Amino acid sequence: MSVMTLDESSRTNHSDGPWAVETHGLTKRFGDNVAVNDVELLVPRGCAFGYLGPNGAGKTTLIRVLLGLTRADAGTMSLLGYSVPRRRDQALARVGAIVDEPRFHGHLTGRQNLQILAAARERAARERIDASLERVGMAHRANDRVSKYSMGMRQRLGVAACLLGDPQLLILDEPMNGLDPAGMHEMRDMILSLVAEGRTVMLSSHLLDEVERTCDAVAIVDHGKVIRQGPIAELLAGAAMQVEVGCSSPERARSILADTPLGANIDVETSGLSIHLAAGTGRDAIAEINRRLVESGIEVYRLQEIQVSLESWFLEVTSRLGDTA
Amino acid sequence: MTSAAEGASSTSAALATRGGEVHDRRGSWFPTGAMIATRIMELRKRRGLMAALVVVNIGIPTIFLLIRLIAHAVAPKSYGPAGGYDIFTALVAGVMYVFGFIVAATLGCTAGSVDLTEGMFRHLVITGRSRLALYFARIPAGLAIIVPLVAAGFTIVCAVCVFAAPTKLDYQGVNNIPVGLSLTGFESWAANHPKEVVCGLPYRGPINYPCDINGKGQIRSSGVIVLPPGTTLQRVTPATLKADAVKIAKQDYADYSSYFLTPSTSLMVKSGLWIELEAIVGFIVGLGLASLMGQRTVPVVLMIVLEIVLTPIFSMNVIAHLINVQRGLVGLAMAHLDPGGLPHPFGGGGGGAGVARLVPESTTVTVCVIVAWLVGWTALGAWRMAKRDA
Repeated sequence: MSVMTLDESSRTNHSDGPWAVETHGLTKRFGDNVAVNDVELLVPRGCAFGYLGPNGAGKTTLIRVLLGLTRADAGTMSLLGYSVPRRRDQALARVGAIVDEPRFHGHLTGRQNLQILAAARERAARERIDASLERVGMAHRANDRVSKYSMGMRQRLGVAACLLGDPQLLILDEPMNGLDPAGMHEMRDMILSLVAEGRTVMLSSHLLDEVERTCDAVAIVDHGKVIRQGPIAELLAGAAMQVEVGCSSPERARSILADTPLGANIDVETSGLSIHLAAGTGRDAIAEINRRLVESGIEVYRLQEIQVSLESWFLEVTSRLGDTA
Repeated sequence: MTSAAEGASSTSAALATRGGEVHDRRGSWFPTGAMIATRIMELRKRRGLMAALVVVNIGIPTIFLLIRLIAHAVAPKSYGPAGGYDIFTALVAGVMYVFGFIVAATLGCTAGSVDLTEGMFRHLVITGRSRLALYFARIPAGLAIIVPLVAAGFTIVCAVCVFAAPTKLDYQGVNNIPVGLSLTGFESWAANHPKEVVCGLPYRGPINYPCDINGKGQIRSSGVIVLPPGTTLQRVTPATLKADAVKIAKQDYADYSSYFLTPSTSLMVKSGLWIELEAIVGFIVGLGLASLMGQRTVPVVLMIVLEIVLTPIFSMNVIAHLINVQRGLVGLAMAHLDPGGLPHPFGGGGGGAGVARLVPESTTVTVCVIVAWLVGWTALGAWRMAKRDA
């Protein structure tokens, strides 16, 4: 996996190392159910990292294990280079996290809740309360009781709580939950700005489109196991390619291409063909398709490579897993 | 949310320590002052709970005394003074002791469970702060609320009972007896007031003087001695009457000597410390129990049952096979520590006489039981907090 490096000069500390999160053989069981199954995860520093998986895949459980909210049954892990749980206090001093739905004391104001959390951190955290509220756009509601907050406002307050510790690593579990489209846009901008400051953001989400727009790298988890991980561009480069062809005589074109060694799945559509090429096929194949059709006297009006989305790739790899299971 | 650029610049300005390691001993078991202060704030802002604490600890005794003050001011002949020794002992042992324990336990159960039930425990654990420190921060925070509340209610009771005390001792309906006489002095006073003593004070034994007997053979002036109809009494000489009065005074002296117009300073100090200790025990046990169970309602109910059902039953009746279990009850141990001048908290007479009816227990055992409950429940609560999934 290629690694987005941090601004090392501004982030020099005891725990220098390429990985913000590193796990080896991490396992967590609930009775017979293996929620986290021998997970090998490497989250590079200074990037936005998406942790994707279907419901019940074990995303939240992994986050809970990483943060010491529950104990692992096997494996090793480290956060920011600190071994966890042995040096958990030092690791979490520079970690901010939201796990599940952020909940607070409803009878207190947003500011008072942050005061409680800041008191459990270092002294400087108390001076960051106003800046954190300002940053998540909650300063104007900071003195209202949390019981009056909407879900989206509580989500923002959760992010503000994360920022109290000036985190090098933020772990956000479904951060877009409860946010309206504008809120999601703002959250995405904020995550990108946090990454631009040299922080690492690891987020789990079901919203693949949002993850694709926000994250530099992802890991796909299914049945508790990480099945793919790496930079999104690299992962998608290895995905199956789709080419749409606008041409005359689509049926004839299909039979011509079916005789070639391209190994493509070809669907005939009213305006032409939809061609699915196997993963790893180079772009030369597109030129080859064009050459064969033109040489056969078929008029080619349009030839377009369809960009594979993270969503389609996600469905592809998770269904592959289902096939082999 | 503000724009990324704005946010980045504003936060960066505030983040002076950015990127460095944090050396704040957050793995230590000891809570910081800020943790305790914010925990106090969190509890204090629970308006319903605070209102209940104030009503029970301060409101009930204050309203009771206020009504007595008003009644005495309006009709002094019908209603006695608001304060005095009797009122003090009744309020402290009968109200403040039991209700103080219950409200302290409720506060403890709240402090021990709300972080879990309201979802804040997870946020706190993620800070990296020791879970034990998170637990221990609740103890001084809760005590900082309950101890002053109990002290405030107790101070009001003391003030009214001292400053609105009766000026004369009303002993068994005889209301002009001097206070604080020695045995000799009491006998001497009885010899000088033989009719009041013989007809007014209780006496176990034969009596010779006919105190204004009514048609049913009852002595009207005291209502203490009931003679069967047809009983004849002999008229006695003044010397015999005096002798009878002295005899009665001698028999009643132990009881008389426990009557005072006002509670003594020593009794007030001891009583104050005693009900504060009871409140502290209630809070610590409630905190540990709620932390152990992870909820508030059931622990509160259990604490109330312990205080007003189990403790009175097991403290007043010796059950041979369960004697050591009985001695392990913190309520019994606390009852053994009550100041001598107070009636027993579960009823049954005053001072030493009441204590004598308790299941016997040495002072050493008493102290050990109280310490064991405080330490044991703290350890259980802290252990559960350290091991619990957040």
